[in-house]
Amino acid sequence: MNKGFRIAAVASLLASMAVAEPALASTQGSFGSTSTGSVTINASVPGRVRISGLSDVTFSNVDPSAPASNAQNVCVWSNTSTRGYTITATGSGSANAFTLSSGALPAVPYTVEWAPSSGQTSGSSLTAGSVLSGQTSSATNSDCSAGPSASASLVVSMSSSTLQGMTAGVTYNGTLTLVVAPE
Amino acid sequence: MELIPPSLGAHPSCGKARNTRAGVPRFTLSFALLAAAIALPQQGLAQKVRITNLSDVNFGLISNLQADARRSQNICLFSNSSGGRYSITATGSGPASSFALNDGSHSLPYEVEWSDQSGQTSGSSLASSVTATGHVSGASQQSCNSGPATSASLIVVLRASSLTQAREGNYSGSLTLLVAAE
Repeated sequence: MNKGFRIAAVASLLASMAVAEPALASTQGSFGSTSTGSVTINASVPGRVRISGLSDVTFSNVDPSAPASNAQNVCVWSNTSTRGYTITATGSGSANAFTLSSGALPAVPYTVEWAPSSGQTSGSSLTAGSVLSGQTSSATNSDCSAGPSASASLVVSMSSSTLQGMTAGVTYNGTLTLVVAPE
Repeated sequence: MELIPPSLGAHPSCGKARNTRAGVPRFTLSFALLAAAIALPQQGLAQKVRITNLSDVNFGLISNLQADARRSQNICLFSNSSGGRYSITATGSGPASSFALNDGSHSLPYEVEWSDQSGQTSGSSLASSVTATGHVSGASQQSCNSGPATSASLIVVLRASSLTQAREGNYSGSLTLLVAAE
């Protein structure tokens, strides 16, 4: 039996800060052998996050007598003062459920876990459509091209009982969408 | 300096010369002194410059961190030196006078460009504390009240490469420009 689904990720681009009032402090130069003037420069950088490094998950020819699990390392970057973020996952099933489908066959569920560090095979369980807050990124580059190459783990699993209820030789598909936001 | 107009000079055919001192016409002497009074200050005129019309640079909330943010402004830069030549030295308020903004905890570097013409959105890069020579001003009055209203462009750039790495925050800093006649 083949069970595959794609993962889509959306990094929310939310501004979470107010713009400071710019100070008016430019000075003009006088007429002389030298002349000096100055300006004040102001800029506000909003809170931003990015999720990248995602790979599709494929469970191929799995043995239904044992649970199947796939863990992958993901890059999540946040520029907030704490490098914090929230994550919300939604599936492509009914009411955004974490399910795979194959035509008229009954949809089958899967579970999603998230860990705010790479290299993990388990983490906090995500509920479809619910925000998981309090996550912190170790990434120092927005796409992890420098510094840590990954900063989180995504774990997708299917239970043995679910696998045993699936039809052999049929491909099941679904999409998992992950939304991260600055925190 | 002595200027003797032909019609006023003593002429041998005129017989006795009037209003003269030691053979030099008084009118000729006065004219010479006046001419010298006008000419001498010009020979010692000090080279002077002035930079005005500077405005603060406000980037506001930068929504797109993946693109360079650029602000330019027109400046009045006057130099009375030959050809209007001047040099410029820029210093920032970052560590070691670097071009960097600060939010109290984090730094955000920026770049400075300068053009000898107004209305420009790019120019030659200035390095902090390094004097850039060979600039020329087209201003004809020290505060640009007449002639060209502005004569140079100041451009401040926040690179995407810096913005995408910057922490969330309100950043500020100052940029000082020192000009000198050449």
